[in-house]
Amino acid sequence: MLSRVADSLYWMSRYMERTDSLLRILMINHLSSQDDVQAFTWQPVLRAFTELQEEDVARMERSGRQVLQYMVLGRDNPNSVLNMVVQSRENARSVQDNLTKELWQCLNEFYHVVREPRLQHALQHEDPVTVLDSLIKQCMLYYGVADITMFRGEGLCFMNLGKYLERTIQSADILDLKFHDLSYDLDKPTDTTYWKYLLMSVSGYALYLKRYRSGFEARNVVDQVLFNIDFPRSILYSVNQLHRYFGRLRGDQNQEGYAKVDFLIGKLKSRLQYSDVQGVSRIGLHHYLTEITSDIHAIGHTLNQYYFAYS
Amino acid sequence: MTQAAEIFQHYGISHSPLWDEMFGSDGIRQHYRGIADFLTNISPAELSKKEELARRLFMSQGITFTVYSSGEGIEKIFPFDIIPRIITSTEWTFIEQGIKQRLRALNLFLRDVYHEQFILKDGVVPVELVYSCPHYLREMQGINVPHDIYVHIAGIDLIRDYDGTFYVLEDNLRTPSGVSYMIENREITKRIFPDLIPQNHVRPVTHYPTILYKNLMALSPRKVASPNIVLLTPGIYNSAYFEHTTLARLMGVELVEGRDLVVENHKVYMKTTAGLQQVDVIYRRVDDHYLDPLVFDPSSVLGVSGILSAYRKGNVAIVNSIGNGVADDKAIYAYVPDMIRYYLNEEPILRNVPTYQLGKPDEREYVLSSINTMVVKKTNESGGYGMLMGHAASEQEIDEYKKQILRDPRQFIAQPTISLSASPCYIDGKVQPRRVDLRPFALYGPDGIEIVPGGLTRVALREGSLVVNSSQGGGSKDTWVLSV
Repeated sequence: MLSRVADSLYWMSRYMERTDSLLRILMINHLSSQDDVQAFTWQPVLRAFTELQEEDVARMERSGRQVLQYMVLGRDNPNSVLNMVVQSRENARSVQDNLTKELWQCLNEFYHVVREPRLQHALQHEDPVTVLDSLIKQCMLYYGVADITMFRGEGLCFMNLGKYLERTIQSADILDLKFHDLSYDLDKPTDTTYWKYLLMSVSGYALYLKRYRSGFEARNVVDQVLFNIDFPRSILYSVNQLHRYFGRLRGDQNQEGYAKVDFLIGKLKSRLQYSDVQGVSRIGLHHYLTEITSDIHAIGHTLNQYYFAYS
Repeated sequence: MTQAAEIFQHYGISHSPLWDEMFGSDGIRQHYRGIADFLTNISPAELSKKEELARRLFMSQGITFTVYSSGEGIEKIFPFDIIPRIITSTEWTFIEQGIKQRLRALNLFLRDVYHEQFILKDGVVPVELVYSCPHYLREMQGINVPHDIYVHIAGIDLIRDYDGTFYVLEDNLRTPSGVSYMIENREITKRIFPDLIPQNHVRPVTHYPTILYKNLMALSPRKVASPNIVLLTPGIYNSAYFEHTTLARLMGVELVEGRDLVVENHKVYMKTTAGLQQVDVIYRRVDDHYLDPLVFDPSSVLGVSGILSAYRKGNVAIVNSIGNGVADDKAIYAYVPDMIRYYLNEEPILRNVPTYQLGKPDEREYVLSSINTMVVKKTNESGGYGMLMGHAASEQEIDEYKKQILRDPRQFIAQPTISLSASPCYIDGKVQPRRVDLRPFALYGPDGIEIVPGGLTRVALREGSLVVNSSQGGGSKDTWVLSV
């Protein structure tokens, strides 16, 4: 497969994963903002997912509509849903012949949906949940179409590498964001709705109820998002998938690159496999998450160097 | 006309001599009856709905080109008219034979010009006309190309004069575009007019990519089981990018950009995740001028350094060949009938539009004195640019243009205004006549020439306009060739 094509598939997929994640974060923050309007602030979200200056954050943090407008449709915000979908679609456009027609059309339609002027009006004046829901559905459609139609070749491997790499980063960021509010104290007593919304944002609420019968505890939440092997947004699950799809690229060619990336993924996987919440608590959650993301960035960088370098 | 023909009541049949594809002197022509019946039995509201469906299909499938303004891309659709243009099987047989004959002669001309140059030595085509043509590339002199085929893909433009006679307007032998619209327009018609295609016995066009792929495979210099075939595109900013991805997808070949390729030791390689892989056949949609910065434009980033040396060594096949522009030059055009007689010893089947060379003093004088009835064109421009339509131009435009001509007369030719036939179109809720041309796509492979029954019908959507180019407000139609 052309290096340029692999690169574009990887980024198409990363942008979609990031879009999906951002939409869920916005949804959950919007919902919690409706529970307790007085205390709620968008500040952590704006800090984590935009490059806004402090004064802009301060100006916007209490105005949910304005935040949603900026983060979903902001043309001047490079990390808005609109711009990420544009990026994903531009990447797809340049490798259309390596996608199924269904997948290309799905992304292309998503692109036309986020550009519809009607959306702006709805986000400003109607129920934001409806709008966010409709966009999340587009993401799910993308995942379904990719899964059902894409041939099981190298292209899908690179798409999945992008997807799970990005998902690891996103799950780590969400945990970090939420525990930042609690000063990373895993024993601090909190309102159960706090955890409920966090778990809902990563579609992990139902699993939590089934698995951890003792009510809401920070430690259990950390355990699920970091280590639960059955939870498709946990970090361990994502890294396992990363390892699995990367393993399919093993071949006679590019042995050096393969060995380097395989080493990095294996190291991260071991780190996760042989950790538990107690240990994480000892070295500090923030520190632990920072190490994971820096490992992930090293993997991305090495992939870039050995698989995507073409110019 | 019966009351049923209400939909046609605004169909202004011109009184000036004009061939109408649908209406003959005694009413609707036989081959248009099927579609005419359909149109009379449908309400304008229904038709407008179908027009909207077509628009949405083009949009959602990304059959668009992007216009970039103020940093943001705007998706545009190449305008599509929903009423098909219909060609009878008799007309098609004639067209097919005519194009095959013409293409054989043009290909022989290229072989000759880049080798022995018999036709120049025999004085059939003037030497100075060839050497003054900017698309004649001396770098191609003496290079042997696989199977002596230069023009693998030709898009020869045909028009019909007032009496229905077909004329060749232009031979496009470099990188003719539009074939994806032949294929996609048909797909759209299947959606908006279900059942109409089988009812009318329309011949299919979907096998075009299969034939092209077979021809490309046959050109591989390496005799291996699965040669690497690529389609070289200038990239996503090119207005024909959609076509490039469509063809790559339909043939299952790799779509590459210049930066994906590299030449080493006179061989072309593509950069893949598994290292370099040798490329055998390149169907390029990048113009000659940008193809190899070492030989042609040194500032080009669309091409590949050293690709011409690989071609010269026979290590890679390039489709279409390089330097073909000398054969579709507008001044050389006038000599194509002579080429057919010279190389094939046959009388030309398709007619040429009479063409005056402004490089010749007596012809120049004649043209300048009757410029109001002429179309003057630059020999090296395409896409409808740099043209003067004498009958429609103002006094001042004509004066300006005359000055340009006198500066370098070789760069101009003139032709009498040919009226172009009209075909029914659905515009603003009414069926109205608009002028059309026809570009069938001929594929020349080692087994001979094949032409898929159909083509791109371009239509001048502005009332009275004779310019069908998409850059000048033209659109397209599905083109039906009937089997009976």
